[in-house]
Amino acid sequence: MARKLLLDKVNVPGIRSYEVYRREGGYRSVEKALKMVPADIVEEVKKSGLRGRGGAGFPTGMKWSFLAKPEGVARYLVCNADESEPGTFKDRYLMEFIPHLLIEGMIASSFALGSNTSYIYIRGEYAWITDILENAIAEAKQNGFLGKNILGSGFDCELYVQRGAGAYICGEETALLESLEGKRGNPRIKPPFPAIKGLWDCPTVVNNVETIAAVVPILNEGGEEYAKIGVGKSTGTKLISACGNINKPGIYEIDMTISVEEFIFSDEYCGGIPNGKRLKACIPGGSSVPILPANLLLTTAKGEKRLMNYESLSDGGFATGSMMGSGGFIVLDEDQCVVRNTMTFARFYHHESCGQCSPCREGTGWMERVLKKIENGKGEMKDIDLLWDIQRKIEGNTICPLGDAAAWPVAAAIRHFRDEFEWHVLNPEKCLTENFGLRHYADPIHVPA
Amino acid sequence: MAEEIKKEPPSTFKVTIDNITIDVAPGTTVLNAARIIGGDVTPPAMCYYSKLKGSGGKCRTCLVEVAAGSTADPRPMPKLVASCRTTVMDGMIVKNITSDKVKDARAGVVEFLLLNHPLDCPICDQAGECHLQDLGYEHGKEGTRYEFKRRTFEKEDIGPYIQLHMTRCILCYRCTYVADQITNKRVHGILDRGEHSEISTYISKAIDNDFSGNMIDVCPVGALTDKTFRFKNRVWFTKPVDAHRNCENPDCCGKTTLWLRGDEVFRVTARKDEWGEVQSFDGKPGWICNTCRFGKKKTADWEVEGLTKISRHSVISQGKYDGLVMPKETVTEVMGGRGPKLLMHIHDESGVNNPAIDLSKINGPAHSDTFDKV
Repeated sequence: MARKLLLDKVNVPGIRSYEVYRREGGYRSVEKALKMVPADIVEEVKKSGLRGRGGAGFPTGMKWSFLAKPEGVARYLVCNADESEPGTFKDRYLMEFIPHLLIEGMIASSFALGSNTSYIYIRGEYAWITDILENAIAEAKQNGFLGKNILGSGFDCELYVQRGAGAYICGEETALLESLEGKRGNPRIKPPFPAIKGLWDCPTVVNNVETIAAVVPILNEGGEEYAKIGVGKSTGTKLISACGNINKPGIYEIDMTISVEEFIFSDEYCGGIPNGKRLKACIPGGSSVPILPANLLLTTAKGEKRLMNYESLSDGGFATGSMMGSGGFIVLDEDQCVVRNTMTFARFYHHESCGQCSPCREGTGWMERVLKKIENGKGEMKDIDLLWDIQRKIEGNTICPLGDAAAWPVAAAIRHFRDEFEWHVLNPEKCLTENFGLRHYADPIHVPA
Repeated sequence: MAEEIKKEPPSTFKVTIDNITIDVAPGTTVLNAARIIGGDVTPPAMCYYSKLKGSGGKCRTCLVEVAAGSTADPRPMPKLVASCRTTVMDGMIVKNITSDKVKDARAGVVEFLLLNHPLDCPICDQAGECHLQDLGYEHGKEGTRYEFKRRTFEKEDIGPYIQLHMTRCILCYRCTYVADQITNKRVHGILDRGEHSEISTYISKAIDNDFSGNMIDVCPVGALTDKTFRFKNRVWFTKPVDAHRNCENPDCCGKTTLWLRGDEVFRVTARKDEWGEVQSFDGKPGWICNTCRFGKKKTADWEVEGLTKISRHSVISQGKYDGLVMPKETVTEVMGGRGPKLLMHIHDESGVNNPAIDLSKINGPAHSDTFDKV
């Protein structure tokens, strides 16, 4: 059993309440942090090698050290809890069942960054979690961990929960800041980055829920201890929300040394594919990341075992690899249709595009319509090339990464499953009732000597 | 101390755009630097408007490739960047028309912009001075690959002077910036999201203030048109002249362009520069008030200064022989000294112009054998 840092206490009865959380050793990191120099905390996070858990995997310590510190200007810490990526539900679990962990992390991080007012921007649909968090904040305040002069250290911090209005785009950090300011949630044009000009034009750090929660064990155990867990640049533990055709969907805290094969098939984690079916494909990091066929998922193009970590999952680039993303692990068995799956994702991005820049506004809808056409047996061969051309013209040409996120799944599906698209075009009747099936996708890949 | 002085940025930055190097002030955007050079080197811009703060970055037509970031850090930028929102660095090397990546991406953006555009130019008042028309003509394809139903909107009434045709809109956001920045009250903005976003007033209010007419001038397409000019005339049949009057409104510059036919004033607009933006006078953008624009439709109201200069490339120049501005040619500089090449040197390849053959002495029509004999 791998070591758990975030979810080890999640099954303690009553852990949602302050008393139980405190009894189980909660808020130790705040007590420790307030005795430290803020710059040392940032240094500690740098040493831990913690990478952003929201999807991009940017080193958190580095992000914190970029924060501008002009005299007399407020700084803000904003927690991005606008978790809306299809397939990702790790933050919901963490906030719902162990809310004080996030609050604790927020207080310690706020102190490290010098933020006296911090925000948790939570997804609008997580309405009941807002209540849980606000309750936790009230409890923390009663016990002197929030408010004026925390634990007599002279540090003031207020924490607010702000609910979004149900837009995926508000999970993009600059759109989130716009929304938090009460404006239309359009992403800003970067530069300037939030670390220089963020919330109300003040330096701001935006971090994912899991990232901020991970600051707690880093402070408790020390950055170097934390860095010992995991492998290479993937340190610490990662929450994976597994779903799809697996026996045991749910949240798993893994250390990043286990292989993808073990994660899917061992009883400790997903427990294999139900009904004796075989693995066809997997989207390892939430809907935005490229889909991989089973053979490329389990072994890299070099013939090595693929591990559940940042480097290994992205091994081979987009040609033969994928991304860790936000940890939304979606498994597809042999009965699933990749065209239909891609269409569902394209529909999502079409619906969620903010409409600010033209490639994404027009291109996402176009891709969805072409995919719908192919899925409904009305496609032509040229449509597949057209899809490829549309995604190529969206990717990299938009203001924010939503355009890329819309283009990548389509690109990867065509790259790896082109014969399935062609099968749909060639069998317009059959594709309405039958599936392409597994074919060669689970075969071991040929490794050139 | 000495080191610090060395590090001080130079007072001007050297930037190379398509092999043409110029010095610009720090803080200048790549687009504005390219506009200083002029000609084909300048990327097209549909949403950027230098007189409106915060505009730009949205349409993506001005994407350029940065081949070298600066002298200090000569790495290329990984993605194409919006030239309207990227400031120049010293020693930056930018590729616009010399980059295939840029041309490809721009063709893509033009296709995206035209995807849901109704292409109703024959009945659109903007035709002839429409930036999207120019863009489509220069960078677009002759056909569309889009085979689905186009997006349409109901026409919306936003007051007595302005017609809003949302179907034609490309969502450049310029008009909302006008409302924010030059009029005292903003009553309109963007509603909804993604493909369905629309410019609208909340809820279907009339836009009623002294400077609302400037929205028509900043609109790059025919989404916002002048109701007093609608269907009255095509712009290329009218004669533009510069004129001015002493306007009572202190914020109105009073310098305008009258669009005449004979002695009749068909419409009044602000004076535009070669990029289609309103000109600045004494460092202030020359916005005009609604009284000047909609209320003064007699030549007697105005002091006419003379013909407006029109670009030779513009369709408005047809039938006008005075005051044409020849467009700047940059080909020689961009191509590193060599002039434009003909696809085929027809006179070298063919003997048709051979003076030794007297066509009048040939019996019947001449064909290739006649010339091959020589």
